[in-house]
Amino acid sequence: MAVAREAEPVSSLREVKEAGLDREDLLNVYRSLLLTRGIEDRGHILYKQGKIPGSFYTGRGNEAASVGVATAMGPDDVGTPLHRDMGVHVVRGVEPWRIFAQYMGRVDGPTRGRDGNVHMADNKLGLIAMVSHLPAMLPVAVGCALAFRIREEKRVALAWFGEGASARGDTHEGMNFAGTRRLPVVFVCDNNQWAYSTPTHLEYACENLADRAQAYGFDGVVVDGTDVLAVYREAKRAIEKAREGGGPTLLECMTLRMEGHAVHDDASYVPKEMFEEWAKRDPLERFRSWLRENADLTDEEEEEIAGQIKKTLSDAIRRADESPLPNPDDLTEGVYASPEDLDTPHHK
Amino acid sequence: MAVKTYLQAISDGLRQEMQRDKRVYVIGEDIGVYGGAFKVTQGFQEEFGAWRVIDAPLSETAIVGSCTGAAIMGLRPVAEMQFADFISCAWDQLVTVAAKQRYRAGTAVPIVVRLPSGGGFSGGPFHSQNPESSFAHIPGLKIVCPATPADAKGLLVSAIEDPNPVLYFEHKHLYRRIKDEVPDERYTVPLGKARVHREGDDVTVVTWGAMVYTADEAAKQLESDLSVEIVDLRSLSPWDKEAVLTSVEKTSRALVLHEDTRTGGFGAEIVATIMEESFESLDAPVKRVAAPDTPVPFSPPLEKKFIPQVEDVLAGLRDLAEY
Amino acid sequence: MATETAVDVVMPQMGVSVSEGTITKWLKSVGEEISADEPLLEISTDKVDTEVPSPATGTLQEILSQEGETVAVGTKIAVISPEGAPAAEAADVPEPATAQAAAESEDASGAEGETATAEPAQEAEPGPAETAEARPSPQPPPAGDGRGDKAFVSPVVGRIAAEHSVDVTQVEGTGRGGRVTKKDILAFIDSGGAKETPAPAQEPAPPEAPAKPAERAPEPATVQAATPAAPQAGETVEPMTPMRKGIAEHMRRSLDTAAHVTTTFEVDMARVVAAREKLKREFQEKHGVKLTYLPLIARATIDTIGDWPWMNAEVRGDSIVVKQYVNLGIAVALEGGKGLIVPVIKSTEGLNLLGLTRAIIAIADRARSKKLLPDDVQGGTFTITNPGGFGAIHGTPIISQPQVAILDVEALVKRPVVVTDDDGNDSIAIRPMMNLCLSYDHRLVDGAYAAQFMRDLRERLQTWDESAY
Repeated sequence: MAVAREAEPVSSLREVKEAGLDREDLLNVYRSLLLTRGIEDRGHILYKQGKIPGSFYTGRGNEAASVGVATAMGPDDVGTPLHRDMGVHVVRGVEPWRIFAQYMGRVDGPTRGRDGNVHMADNKLGLIAMVSHLPAMLPVAVGCALAFRIREEKRVALAWFGEGASARGDTHEGMNFAGTRRLPVVFVCDNNQWAYSTPTHLEYACENLADRAQAYGFDGVVVDGTDVLAVYREAKRAIEKAREGGGPTLLECMTLRMEGHAVHDDASYVPKEMFEEWAKRDPLERFRSWLRENADLTDEEEEEIAGQIKKTLSDAIRRADESPLPNPDDLTEGVYASPEDLDTPHHK
Repeated sequence: MAVKTYLQAISDGLRQEMQRDKRVYVIGEDIGVYGGAFKVTQGFQEEFGAWRVIDAPLSETAIVGSCTGAAIMGLRPVAEMQFADFISCAWDQLVTVAAKQRYRAGTAVPIVVRLPSGGGFSGGPFHSQNPESSFAHIPGLKIVCPATPADAKGLLVSAIEDPNPVLYFEHKHLYRRIKDEVPDERYTVPLGKARVHREGDDVTVVTWGAMVYTADEAAKQLESDLSVEIVDLRSLSPWDKEAVLTSVEKTSRALVLHEDTRTGGFGAEIVATIMEESFESLDAPVKRVAAPDTPVPFSPPLEKKFIPQVEDVLAGLRDLAEY
Repeated sequence: MATETAVDVVMPQMGVSVSEGTITKWLKSVGEEISADEPLLEISTDKVDTEVPSPATGTLQEILSQEGETVAVGTKIAVISPEGAPAAEAADVPEPATAQAAAESEDASGAEGETATAEPAQEAEPGPAETAEARPSPQPPPAGDGRGDKAFVSPVVGRIAAEHSVDVTQVEGTGRGGRVTKKDILAFIDSGGAKETPAPAQEPAPPEAPAKPAERAPEPATVQAATPAAPQAGETVEPMTPMRKGIAEHMRRSLDTAAHVTTTFEVDMARVVAAREKLKREFQEKHGVKLTYLPLIARATIDTIGDWPWMNAEVRGDSIVVKQYVNLGIAVALEGGKGLIVPVIKSTEGLNLLGLTRAIIAIADRARSKKLLPDDVQGGTFTITNPGGFGAIHGTPIISQPQVAILDVEALVKRPVVVTDDDGNDSIAIRPMMNLCLSYDHRLVDGAYAAQFMRDLRERLQTWDESAY
């Protein structure tokens, strides 16, 4: 029996304004969605052109979930986004050319070629770089929340995970500890229904993952992850609740991973009808239609925004391509931190 | 300067750092109200409050993982594993997250994990281990293993100051057994610097932790025949190669002693380094005295056989001397 | 090769400069049968350690010199009786390896080779005896001779042995199975053992070592066995030439042997300068000879030696051997610092200044053109070295063994000096001054003796009497 609250879709501009977004904010959300998908599409092309080493992962289908949550974050909030959450990096303001540099293993990528893909984060933007052991980032985010609580700061930590990661002990330990201490953290589950090839019923046996929240002593909410405004609204509520001392929330965003686990995976194990059904709910198209119906998005505006995004991406790729590959002689540098590394906004 | 136990020295060092630096907090199982399984943090919660002396659920992953998050947010967490053995539950957090964050993402993770380690009192397989070598293999982690009360305090202060994840192995057998003078004021003992515990000319013993005293007893018994130099490494990562090689170049004979099991123990790294860098100084094969490759047994005669004893070191030293 | 009559085993001469050998181990005991060429004993000389193969097949009838005894070359040390069952050559006869054979021929062409046929042992069995000398390893692996662990040389002992030219087999081992420990070898060196039993196949005894042309010097095996130097950043490494090794060994051994003391005298060379100015043209025009200061100084030195005979002597065991002739060594530096040769002019006491000048020029030319004969570099009794030509004004030269003194001729420089006239008035004058530095072996020559020698030499130079030469 489901115990989590199912969030309603967002219907009107008035409702959105109540949630804190004016029309320009909405256009920015739209721009973020387009940029998120654009970066990953262009990355995919670069990969196929042999310009990106290793493997390549995208968050296609998850753009609204990541953009929606990130838009709800306050400037001093922090988070640990994962590999389907490019939208978080985009909304927090990472420069696209640095993402391409990261993809291509160049020195100007946030990890300077030490790590690839979306294994990156700009600490100054309040983001912490993920590891491949995905749920391991939940206790880290909980620790950020613990720091806010110890210092009595009104800041919130966002902890992303997927339904696959939900099966591991770190998830439990992180949520349990956060629950006992009512820490200011929001657990965001990108439930894209497939952990590589494993479907949800082999990952968990409850109806919704958000149902687990009650067992940890906090609220669980299920939201349609393709509805950026609904995601935004629910994230905003959860974040502000945490900020005011109301404790954690588990926000489960339901999406479908619209591509394979990575580019090498044709996702043949996903029923074709499932893709077709979710394709009709494409988060970008859905929001574009909403903007045209509810916020008077014009053809001119659309063209202008699309043109801006296209130019941003072209410029970014060119600049990233100019960035050099790392010097092999630097291989052993930076294994250990020096005191100067503590010169960050967080350590002030 | 007052005479303190090893345990008091750790406790005092921690308390002083918490008094001096509001960013320092402690977290662990039963460390608050109860004062910790070994009472290192007794009275801390009264002094610093429940949000700086945090009783955590039985969740080593959450304890260490949250330290990483809090450290990135600017705090200086000191986590206590109730027993070093339980650090296995937090392996991912140390090895996957904390150790690699600086290298790949440029993010410093200044955390300290205190690890009550070692056997000698029938703790059995899960309360007696010395897992330092597993972590010495991980780039990005630092490891200290103090043997004396003064080093226990000074190394703890350095560990807290250090911008990296530091595993602080405190040997349980030394807690109340070892007493010595400890300066009252704050001071640091540098990470990565060994200490010559005893000077000698004939044989070098390289060791750390409780085995320093085992080696010392053996050296005393051989005093009239053999001049033994004991190098107390104090840190395993980074470790003081120079001190070891300097001593070995003097004595030309070396015995590496550790309480951890033999195969893949940190002693192997030391021996290999001596061979690589001081081969031409050697007058005998470098010898290891270490625990056998078994889990730590419970029953006293078994445990006594497991943990290197003075007699084992004596035999090793005699063998080396006769070579 | 069964034999009919008793065959004597004699101490072989392991190289021209070797006069005696020490028996380190008998590999057979009296009564044991032995085949020709089978190792019979091990000996140690100041050049080489080696096994001595039996000259005949038979029974070891008698051992005349025991282990540890040092006997002169050619001394009968054992007797092989032919009574034993005649046997085919034993299977374990050591075969001279190809490389050894090559070394042998190389050695035979060297300065040391000229007397090879005079070595009795080599006459009997020339192959193995010569081969052993050129063996590349100072420690032939023991073949089941019971030495066991002693033969293992630990890295540090090997290094120390190489650095100090010590033959490890001569060190008494206190380690397991008699292994030589670091302490053992250090104690051995401290006790002066290194010089008493120099390493095997060392560069030859003085003065040949520094004097031998590079291409003729046999490989000194011990130094070769030294630990290879690994180049560090910013370094280049090249192997020492045989000559370099010979010089290194000889210099080191001289310091270990002689009690070196150096004394320096200032000499006013005004009269020598005047004499040379006068004679220079005459020598050039009449004889085609370029006169430098060296023959003048050498001439005065030879004459002074006549008054102080211990300067021209040798410490031989407990005896003082005074030479009735002055064989003068002249140190000649090779170009580019590649080495040093000390050719010797024989019987200089009978040469006048012109003869001495000619001899010096001739021998220096031969040295630089590498045309010295073996005889040219042997038998020196006193040496003059002349770094003053490069501007040096002081030095502490090392004596060429077994001599007891070496004179260092420094640069001739104009200096202000206080001169006293006949009335006892002092004034400062510019004088052509030269320092002469004499290193002498205090084992034989005392300070006063050396100072008086130098005083007289100075007097001879300052009052140069042309007519005397």
